Amino acid sequence: MRAQPATLRSMVVKIRETAISQLRRGVLEFCVLALLRDGERYSYEIVRALGDAEGLVTTEGTLYPLLGRLRREGVVDTTWRESPSGPPRRYYRLTPDGQAALGGFVIEWARFRDSVDALLCNEGLR
Amino acid sequence: MTTHILHSLAAEYLERLRRAGHGLPPGRLRELLAEIEGHLSEAIDSSASDAQALTVLDRLGEPGAIIAAETPNLDELPNRRGTKEWAAIILLLFGGFIFGFGWFAGLILLWNSRPWTTRDKWIGTLVVPGGLATSVLIGGIAIGEPTKTKSICQGIAGGVQHCTVAAGQSTPSTILGVAVFALLVLVPIATSVYLARRAA
Repeated sequence: MRAQPATLRSMVVKIRETAISQLRRGVLEFCVLALLRDGERYSYEIVRALGDAEGLVTTEGTLYPLLGRLRREGVVDTTWRESPSGPPRRYYRLTPDGQAALGGFVIEWARFRDSVDALLCNEGLR
Repeated sequence: MTTHILHSLAAEYLERLRRAGHGLPPGRLRELLAEIEGHLSEAIDSSASDAQALTVLDRLGEPGAIIAAETPNLDELPNRRGTKEWAAIILLLFGGFIFGFGWFAGLILLWNSRPWTTRDKWIGTLVVPGGLATSVLIGGIAIGEPTKTKSICQGIAGGVQHCTVAAGQSTPSTILGVAVFALLVLVPIATSVYLARRAA
């Protein structure tokens, strides 16, 4: 039995959305580490910076569980400090493990991006 | 310490998040609530309009989505039914027969296992404490008591002691006893099935 064109279209869209979502999930934690490369930031700053980046985050709230995981993995360290305008702020900074993880990812990402670009632009196949 | 007042919509959102996260370990939920409260406090001024507040909440996403994003993180630690969980289920059901100690061992395993929420753990603890051993004990008393026979002896007449054996209570009491016994056996089994399914 052959699938109807509308069904095929919706399947293609679903596959694409799943791929983008997985890709996003895979790189987000390194984007957080990259934001901390030049110094500490508090959680709201990190979340807004990622939220403002085009196509990177769909719901800002889901970044907080990610920040929690990075803390538990030991790639970031945190300190609570009083805020002049509201509840205390949690400041994040890279640990040596986080710096090493980021450094490794930057190299791998450059290779990955170049290979995918080459294939998508059909240049690498010639 | 600075006091701050959340916008009413932000406070309502935070409460929805708290309710959605009731299944998370308390420490995780507390951390998440503190972070989100900080976000709401930074992003929404208490004098902001409802439209401004709703825009921020839209960007933040549904509380359920945030809790769902936190939930896979529990997989950093074993979160599915394993040897410990099976041992807990079996000991809670049958451990009472090992002088009662087995059930307490099951209880310790239950409360130290991750797949179950606090609510599940309370169900496992309170329904029925002691497991099947308690059911057999109470059920045995419930059935045995009404059917107990009485022996009445009326002294010695001509060197022979006359005793009459009286039957126990009527049939309805016996039926009630059996029903209680059946219920007491079925409830701990149902609890074990529930715990096994919840940890799957």
